[in-house]
Amino acid sequence: MKSYSRIWTVYRKELTETLRDRRTLMAMVFVPVILYPILMVVLMQALSSEKGRQEESEYTVVVPNEAHKRWLETILLREDEEVNAEQKALDAAAKAMGEEMADPTGRAAFRTRLGSKQIHIVIADDPGKIWDIVAAGAVHAGVVVRPDPAVDRAADPNRVVQILYSDTNPLSEVIFRQLNLILQNEAGRIVRDRVTKLAGTPEVLNPIMTTNLSTTSPDKQFSKVLALIVPFLLVTMTVTGAMYPAIDLTAGERERGTLETLAVSPVPVGQIVAGKFGVIVTIAMVTTALNLGSMTAVIQFSGIAKMLGAPTSASAAMEEMEAEQTVQSAPAEPGSSAALQRINFGRRQALEQETNRRAGFVTTAAPIVLLAMIPFAVLFGGVMLAVCSFAKSFKEAQNYMMPVMMSAIVPAMVVSYMPTIELQGPLMATPVANVVLLMRELFLGNFRIEAVVIVLLSTCLYAAAAVAMATRIYGNEAVLFNDVGSYKTLLLRKFMRPQRVPSAAFALLTLALIFPVNFFVQSSIVTADSGWMDLCRAVGITQVLLFFGVVVFLAWYAKLNMRETFSLRLPSALHWVATLLIVAGIVPLSATIQQYLYATFPPTSQMQQMMQAEAKLLSGIPLWAIVAFFAILPGVCEEFAFRGMLLTGLRDRIGTWRTVLVVGIVFGAFHIYVHKIPPIAIVGMLLAYVCIRTGSILPGILIHIANNGVGLIADSMVKANDPRLMDLFGLPHGDEQTFDYSVNPRTMIFIAAVVLGLAIMVFTPKRPTPRSEPRP
Amino acid sequence: MPEPIVEVHELMKIFPTTTGEEKRAVDGVSFCVNPGQIYGLLGPNGAGKTTTLRMIAGLLTPTGGSVRLDGHDPQIDRESAKRSLGYLTASTGLYERLSPREVLNYFGELIGLEAAQRRKRIDDLIHWLDMSAFATLRCGGLSTGQKQRTNIARALMGDPPILIMDEPTLGLDVLTNRVVLDFIRAEGARGKAIILSTHYLDDAEAICDEFGLIHNGRIVGRGDLAALRAQSGKTRLSEIFLKLCGEDEHVLSGVPGVATNNSTEGTGR
Repeated sequence: MKSYSRIWTVYRKELTETLRDRRTLMAMVFVPVILYPILMVVLMQALSSEKGRQEESEYTVVVPNEAHKRWLETILLREDEEVNAEQKALDAAAKAMGEEMADPTGRAAFRTRLGSKQIHIVIADDPGKIWDIVAAGAVHAGVVVRPDPAVDRAADPNRVVQILYSDTNPLSEVIFRQLNLILQNEAGRIVRDRVTKLAGTPEVLNPIMTTNLSTTSPDKQFSKVLALIVPFLLVTMTVTGAMYPAIDLTAGERERGTLETLAVSPVPVGQIVAGKFGVIVTIAMVTTALNLGSMTAVIQFSGIAKMLGAPTSASAAMEEMEAEQTVQSAPAEPGSSAALQRINFGRRQALEQETNRRAGFVTTAAPIVLLAMIPFAVLFGGVMLAVCSFAKSFKEAQNYMMPVMMSAIVPAMVVSYMPTIELQGPLMATPVANVVLLMRELFLGNFRIEAVVIVLLSTCLYAAAAVAMATRIYGNEAVLFNDVGSYKTLLLRKFMRPQRVPSAAFALLTLALIFPVNFFVQSSIVTADSGWMDLCRAVGITQVLLFFGVVVFLAWYAKLNMRETFSLRLPSALHWVATLLIVAGIVPLSATIQQYLYATFPPTSQMQQMMQAEAKLLSGIPLWAIVAFFAILPGVCEEFAFRGMLLTGLRDRIGTWRTVLVVGIVFGAFHIYVHKIPPIAIVGMLLAYVCIRTGSILPGILIHIANNGVGLIADSMVKANDPRLMDLFGLPHGDEQTFDYSVNPRTMIFIAAVVLGLAIMVFTPKRPTPRSEPRP
Repeated sequence: MPEPIVEVHELMKIFPTTTGEEKRAVDGVSFCVNPGQIYGLLGPNGAGKTTTLRMIAGLLTPTGGSVRLDGHDPQIDRESAKRSLGYLTASTGLYERLSPREVLNYFGELIGLEAAQRRKRIDDLIHWLDMSAFATLRCGGLSTGQKQRTNIARALMGDPPILIMDEPTLGLDVLTNRVVLDFIRAEGARGKAIILSTHYLDDAEAICDEFGLIHNGRIVGRGDLAALRAQSGKTRLSEIFLKLCGEDEHVLSGVPGVATNNSTEGTGR
């Protein structure tokens, strides 16, 4: 308990000091709580004042002659009339519904409309010089109509209109767009008149009318937009929030010379780093929470939601559309097409009303999103702590932060811009991207337990590696004192000193390195339709290169003592006997554990599908290949990685029981399917314990091979209608295989053998492992 | 004859450099300090004093040799060794956003003192070092002297039997210098073993019981003042220092008209 109380001491002190730092407060409180809302208000003000300026400005349009002027003025007046009529119809509809509907869709707030009074038409002194007048900027636009409006229209009813404008003058662009709109509207009116005259009724004008009614409630429609933006924003803010404390608590402490005083205090480096790490994660999460809160408030109370395309009310939009139609054509009669549009309309209205009664969407989703941010904050807290620990000064740390921030923000941005990317396969184990995708899924209300578990476990593994790395760097003498060599001495092999066993940081980092690669290979295997030889080759390559090759190479690079790191020694005779007992009973035991777990927590249909797919994949492989690639290779190679590197890296630092627990869980996490993790983790713990007690990697290899090999052989015998092995173990097989749970007495005998084997290991002395430095 | 509380035996530190050459910063340094003794570790810049002190404090891992602090090896029994040690250098800083009282409380907690013990110890230290005027102000706003007094209090928080002081008076005014030296002397009288490294040879001459002159990573002169005088044939510590470090002719050659006595004043105070 003492170590926790000291971590707590460090945590409290660092938090106090951080909260007294103006820079942190700035990034944490001032920016989200004060700056964002102000910026948002300013932005809204700027937008509306820009629109106001556009609407209040006077525009000059030059035309060649008097006829042009009259022609254009008539069109402008007609447009005025129509706009007024539409507005009147809208007001009437609003009055009828008894609602405020000045701006039903919010679109008008962002649309400029110019009246005829603002547009002055002048006649050019020289009709041939219109281009030059516009180009010189003397007027905002020029209009030339052919045939000339002076010519009678009946002869040629169609006209070509040319609008001259200047791209560099913003007002010129406004009037250019406005003139286009007005002329299009005029064209529409002319067509309507012509058709009505020919057909005798305006009904023919609307052969197909569409109404779009989303069956998704408005808050969820809005959340779809937010799901693309908010995770990215939150990632950025969390990283920003973590940055200052991370720099201040490491490089800052070194710069101010307090690191030395901390290093001579009787506190292990791990506890100091743990306390600091806690503060960084706390500050990052508080920053995120404040940002999220501020964002929620800004979204709820400002008009920003309308800008983001949030449909405030589809029924209001419908009213507006009908109002437009009323002006354009005859009023809708009962049974007419316009009235038919109202089918299903009641459902939509009900949905909207129900949503209005509920709390706003953002308010309900915010806590879940915040929870999803915790693993991310943990990961980047760890990474920043590790990176900043390298820096000699605040400034240097700030430079190092740039790539770290990019590595958080760029994946988040890429994922944000690709709404069709799904949280599947290797992406589930890809740092940052997996968290961002998980957040998006949560935002949309999708909760998949396997995705959540994989994302959390992999993120925890990366974070643990980062924190362990930070601890290692933090305690390093090259980091403690500027004058001690260069950092190359930390990384180059020739400067490394031989070590008995890996550090926890080194072991975790090795595992974190091979985790995503393994994940990628495994998930590509299961989806591949390739033959069994490809499958075996892939498994062989993963096992030999990744679990054995990479691990042993890194052990060599770090000048680790191979014999100690991988426990390369023979167990005692008694431990051999115990091992053989466990070998005999391991398959019935692990099968029973698996049955028990599946009975207690029935696998989802998706998991069952995956299990079947996996069984099918194995069924085509000859028995020798199964034994070689799925029993012997993993038995040897995985033991080197998990019970070799990882186990010895942790054992001397966190004690037997915690090592057993961590090795088991990490071992389970490497087997990507959620339903497999718990049973495999339990077997992994057993293997870890055996390795620690016997001081040798051999018993674990034997048990591992037996567990995989005998199980697979028994399975394939069942498939060949030979259930003898399964019957020997008393295990259910074939059609009997259900997720019910009962233990055959025969199975109990085998489990008893395992228990006896473990008991022998518990009560015989542990093989002593020599320590690197002799005790005094 | 009291048992030495600090034992340094054949201490060696080799730093790797990126060019592949080795830099022998400390090369076989041995000495012992008894309780109540003030040991002066003196030498020119780059002689290896600070590296030696850092190895004694367990901040650096020695390439060879061993250290015993109150019977503990700082590389193995890290916590016990550090618990018996107070460490103070010119470069050690303070948490600028905490007050001296908060700094002392923090280190008291890290050492593992109970709340009541901490309060008493802090009050005592504030009284002894005359810190009450600034004990609750933020450290960032304190003067160099006030900071150094806080630092001394910090090093003494756990009342350790051994004190390592690397340039404790660097940059201090005469008054604070006096306070610090008096305090070191008083702590020595209270039975603490103190290792003092300083460039101010007059100060060292005044308060140290025993000396180790270190040059190029080796001890070139040892013993009390009388022994050093006998070894070098010089009287003042600054002269002894120059003589034993073999730099006297070196420094003075090519500086015409400078008398030996005057030139040594620059190295002392």
